Amino acid sequence: MSTIKIRCMLAMLGTDVHSKGIRTLAQVLRDEGVEVIYLGEHNTAESLINAILSEDPDVLGLSFSTSTYIHYTRDLLDKMRAAGVGDVPVMLGGLIHPDDEDALRELGVKGIFGPGSVTRDIVEFLVSVTGKPLASQRATAP
Amino acid sequence: MTSQTPASAERSILDAVMAGNLRQAGRLISRVEAGDTSVAPLIAALEEKRRTTPVVGITGPPGAGKSTLLDGLICHLRASHLRVAVLAVDPSSPFTGGAILGDRIRMGRHAADSGVFIRSMASRASLGGMAVAAGDALTVLAALDFDWIFIETVGVGQNEVEIVDHADTVVVVVTPHSGDAIQAVKAGVLEVGDVYLVNKADTGAAQRTVSALREALHRGAEQARWLPPILSAEAANGVGLDAVLAALRQHRDYLASNPDEFSAREQHRMRIRLERLVLAEVEQRLHRPGPLRDTLDHWLGEAAQKRCSPRVAAAAIINTLGITGE
Repeated sequence: MSTIKIRCMLAMLGTDVHSKGIRTLAQVLRDEGVEVIYLGEHNTAESLINAILSEDPDVLGLSFSTSTYIHYTRDLLDKMRAAGVGDVPVMLGGLIHPDDEDALRELGVKGIFGPGSVTRDIVEFLVSVTGKPLASQRATAP
Repeated sequence: MTSQTPASAERSILDAVMAGNLRQAGRLISRVEAGDTSVAPLIAALEEKRRTTPVVGITGPPGAGKSTLLDGLICHLRASHLRVAVLAVDPSSPFTGGAILGDRIRMGRHAADSGVFIRSMASRASLGGMAVAAGDALTVLAALDFDWIFIETVGVGQNEVEIVDHADTVVVVVTPHSGDAIQAVKAGVLEVGDVYLVNKADTGAAQRTVSALREALHRGAEQARWLPPILSAEAANGVGLDAVLAALRQHRDYLASNPDEFSAREQHRMRIRLERLVLAEVEQRLHRPGPLRDTLDHWLGEAAQKRCSPRVAAAAIINTLGITGE
């Protein structure tokens, strides 16, 4: 068995505590064979950057249920670039308004999964953005 | 140490890691975890730079408070401006290979502290694979400028016990609800400790658990040069952590003043590491295209057709490795 795994870091920023969605996603991704580094709520840009340095995730996923996500995302991406970890792809989920998607992509967000997204889309995004296979795909490979 | 020397691209990674570039250190650990064999020269070079940083293993049943204990210990060490690295191992799902690595949450107070390096690792299912990766990851961390290194694992199986084999000092964490004296003498995780801690002492009859452990571990061992201290603490409330740190320092000093014991441990550690490396390599060769897998497939056919027993087939496969004499 190959030991190549997708490492996905999941976190929430600021005072947003509606973590049901991101906890569900963590379990779904685990069941797809992803290694989820789960950071929960109350993170800051600085703490996420520190975690990226040591954990070396393939992707960072953020969940928002408050309307301040553009502010938080801009601040985080600026600081990530300044810290030399701007190459780690960032995906957003939660209550993301469709009208904000262009602005978020302009900031550098690679994946956006707002209301109506299905977990399959997120999994496919992870595979395409990392170029790594899922454990479940590998199990059936010759 | 070996004839392998890192190529120039690898040389610059090595220089970056040695200069304290934590991202390069994090990436190197990822390559080790992925089973990337091209890291061997780098790991060998880092092994030469290995410092004598004390490595403490923390193990115990799920929910005993290992991460919370670590969080408290880190607070104490950071108050003295000591730099700390943590390898936090969580189990992988044996069914999907996925994992939720959540130990960082318990150590959230240190999330933005650049003097604390926390790396989460999934135990993964591969025989020996995790122990190999953990050993190499420790080599990376021990070459860096840390004062203490901790490795935290759930102590439930052989794999996990082997991971703490990498440590100089092993702390076994239990709770007052971890069972009676009979549980305490069960073989396995309770035999590996240099320090025992009954955590969550505010939640039950901690003193009874301490007594049961003392009965199980100290009886007949009075002449031992190191009698494992049995402590109690409330890690979540910061109670009793001074004594834990003192015990860790005592054990470090004990090893320093007993070089024969220290070198016996080193020898044991090296043996485990070599065994794991060999087993991991054999396992990989069984799976990737090549002569060993061809041999396996051939004998698989024979055994599946019932032309020979699985034992005969296995012995024939072993023979192709050139191992004779048994």
